[in-house]
Amino acid sequence: MGSSHHDTHEDQGAGPVIISVSDRHPRSKTIQVVRPESADTTFLAATAKGLGITLKHFAKNLFLPLKKLSGRAKAGAPDPERFKNDIETVQYPEERVIYPERFRGLHRLTKREDDSVRCVACMCCPTVCPANCITIVPEESTDSSIEKRPAIFEIDELRCIACGLCVEACPCDAIRMDTGMHAHPVEDRADAIETLESMLARGIRSVAQQGGQGANWRETAVLPGPEKHTTPKNGPPGSR
Amino acid sequence: MSTTTTPPQPAAAGGAAPPAPPLDTNNVTLSIDGQSVTVPKGTNVLEAARTLGNDISAFCYHPGLPVVAQCRQCLVSVEKNPKLQPACQQVCGEGMVVHTTDAQSTNARRQMLEFTLVNHPIDCPICDKAGECTLQKLYFDDDNKDSRVDTPKVEKDKVVDLGPHIVLDQERCILCSRCIRTCDHVAGVHQLEFAHRGDHEVLTTAPGEQLDNAYSLNTVDVCPVGALTAKDFRFTMRAWELEATPSVCNGCATGCNVEIHHKNGRAWRLVPRHNPDVNAYWMCDEGRFTYHDLREVRLAAALIDGLPAGWDRAVRAAADKIKDAGAGGVAVALSALATNEDNFALAKLAKSLGLSSVLVAAKPPVPARADGRLRVADVNPNTAGVAEIAKALGLATKPAFEPGALDGVRVLVVLGDVLPGVELGKVDVIALASHERGPVGAAKVALPIAAWAENAGTITNDQGHVQRMHAAFPPPGQALPGWEAVTRLAHAAGVTMSWTHAREVFKDMTAAVPTWSSLTWVREARPLALRFAGSRG
Repeated sequence: MGSSHHDTHEDQGAGPVIISVSDRHPRSKTIQVVRPESADTTFLAATAKGLGITLKHFAKNLFLPLKKLSGRAKAGAPDPERFKNDIETVQYPEERVIYPERFRGLHRLTKREDDSVRCVACMCCPTVCPANCITIVPEESTDSSIEKRPAIFEIDELRCIACGLCVEACPCDAIRMDTGMHAHPVEDRADAIETLESMLARGIRSVAQQGGQGANWRETAVLPGPEKHTTPKNGPPGSR
Repeated sequence: MSTTTTPPQPAAAGGAAPPAPPLDTNNVTLSIDGQSVTVPKGTNVLEAARTLGNDISAFCYHPGLPVVAQCRQCLVSVEKNPKLQPACQQVCGEGMVVHTTDAQSTNARRQMLEFTLVNHPIDCPICDKAGECTLQKLYFDDDNKDSRVDTPKVEKDKVVDLGPHIVLDQERCILCSRCIRTCDHVAGVHQLEFAHRGDHEVLTTAPGEQLDNAYSLNTVDVCPVGALTAKDFRFTMRAWELEATPSVCNGCATGCNVEIHHKNGRAWRLVPRHNPDVNAYWMCDEGRFTYHDLREVRLAAALIDGLPAGWDRAVRAAADKIKDAGAGGVAVALSALATNEDNFALAKLAKSLGLSSVLVAAKPPVPARADGRLRVADVNPNTAGVAEIAKALGLATKPAFEPGALDGVRVLVVLGDVLPGVELGKVDVIALASHERGPVGAAKVALPIAAWAENAGTITNDQGHVQRMHAAFPPPGQALPGWEAVTRLAHAAGVTMSWTHAREVFKDMTAAVPTWSSLTWVREARPLALRFAGSRG
């Protein structure tokens, strides 16, 4: 509808039809506004078209093979096959969508061999953060080979826009957003602040080269333990 | 530029040099990369190139220190000279032709940089100097390549305690000797030196010494890498998070020009700012630590009898006290620690109250401080300014601690929180102060004013330089600039003062003080974000 009017204007090539021009303010003009056709304003054709789409999906889902439907109902084990169906509805919470591998979820901090935090408080992430949601207070480490570590590391998940720049900026593979978890719903704003402890509790060991360089420096790491760094430990993605 | 009395410094960059007058025996004209430049005799090639905007890379050269040409990072080719010359040591000669961008010298400087990086740990993420590091800047500007050396780097000591204020990382040190020369020539004591040879050479304290001179933290400023770090600033803040506001140190009457480095309304460090007439490139350690005081026992609300009252009630109460005391019962104490503007405003109020003399509140001198360098015995930053203002307004001054100074006085209006050795007795004190201490604790009325870093104005050092201070951040709570607090008090007392800006106070003041009549107000400086300031090492 709107587009047809637009086309009309383009055909004229000289803008809207001017009815009158103000004497006192020559830039103030009265123009002819092109109104929609009555056939368009009833929305009859569009409504019928939309109903047709709905009916098509209804029929498709109604007569789907039962085998596929029962497979989908299994809780906790999403069936990748279901994407071959046309059904977009997910039976949440029994069934959950698998997020893509690069989904940026809740932050976590990785650990060294001795389970201490890998972060060296270089301040690259709060510097690059466009939402100013990262607060780091550095302190001197007792280990002189490490020198510097965060005394406080807080991320305000309400402020975070999940852009992932902190992960990109980190020269130490210390911060990651690969938990596949959403920020928790909270009743108090203060509860939305992730602390050093809470992010370290989700953390795993990283043996990437500290301060490493090159495109694949993270992948040189062989991750110890059974878990893969793209799959969260407890429950399906999206669970708390 | 920074001070109102010193002439503008020569422009650092840009513009073609003016044509050299013939037969000028004080200047020489030479060509650098095809550009002709005229400089005073004795200038080195590196400084001459800087006037053209060509900043030749260098580590060991510092304009305030003797030239040693030991980093070899500033090699340039000079025509008719078969070998490359260090630009810092090569004195400009008449008709000299210098090339800084030819293949030979560019390659030499790149190789020197690579050589310097061979044993440097490149731990920029945890190095406090990152963001203001000369080596980091040169690496990104000139080289930016991976190391070609695959042998392990030489390991040296990491956290070496050199003295009360400074920690050394020997691995980061590139052996430029700036710190050694700073101790030798700025502080006049030989406390640092090199030990061992070759790639095992390290910086260390001289036998039996530690780095504890009164100017030791200048070594941290001049260090072109992160080898020397101040314990006071170490690991607190990255340089690029800070903003710099030009100001003047309020630690003593020398008035060293400083930059306040601050973030979110809090000062994190003071560093010296170049002023050839006052402090050159340096300042003392004691002055550096004065910023800590900005956050201690601050007075942030107007008080009556120690209870928060708000400005309106407080100034009314103060005005009532002044009226009750009558003509002979009021005394006014100017402060040798406050700005000229604050003192001028209060002196004007004293005149309006019909006083013929004022007291001067000041800290007692510390003779042990005076060392013939930057530190002097007078620890009040504005002694000269207060004297000048009082003289111009026809007010006699006497020290506040003089016996009998408060005889017959019922109300004392005092600027600042310093009133040492004064027996207040039953005198009611109206204090205009930034800190809640000294006479402010017992004050009848306390009006909160901005501390020095929060105040725009001028102070006068012991040489008579009237120097401009810029406000780095707003004062806490209800605090106002001192002159504005005086205006409010004056209004309540029925005296009209129509200033709305420190600039207007300054204008009236320079009109009233004959020796300052030629001074002009320096426009407010916008804080410089160090993120965009490049290397300052």
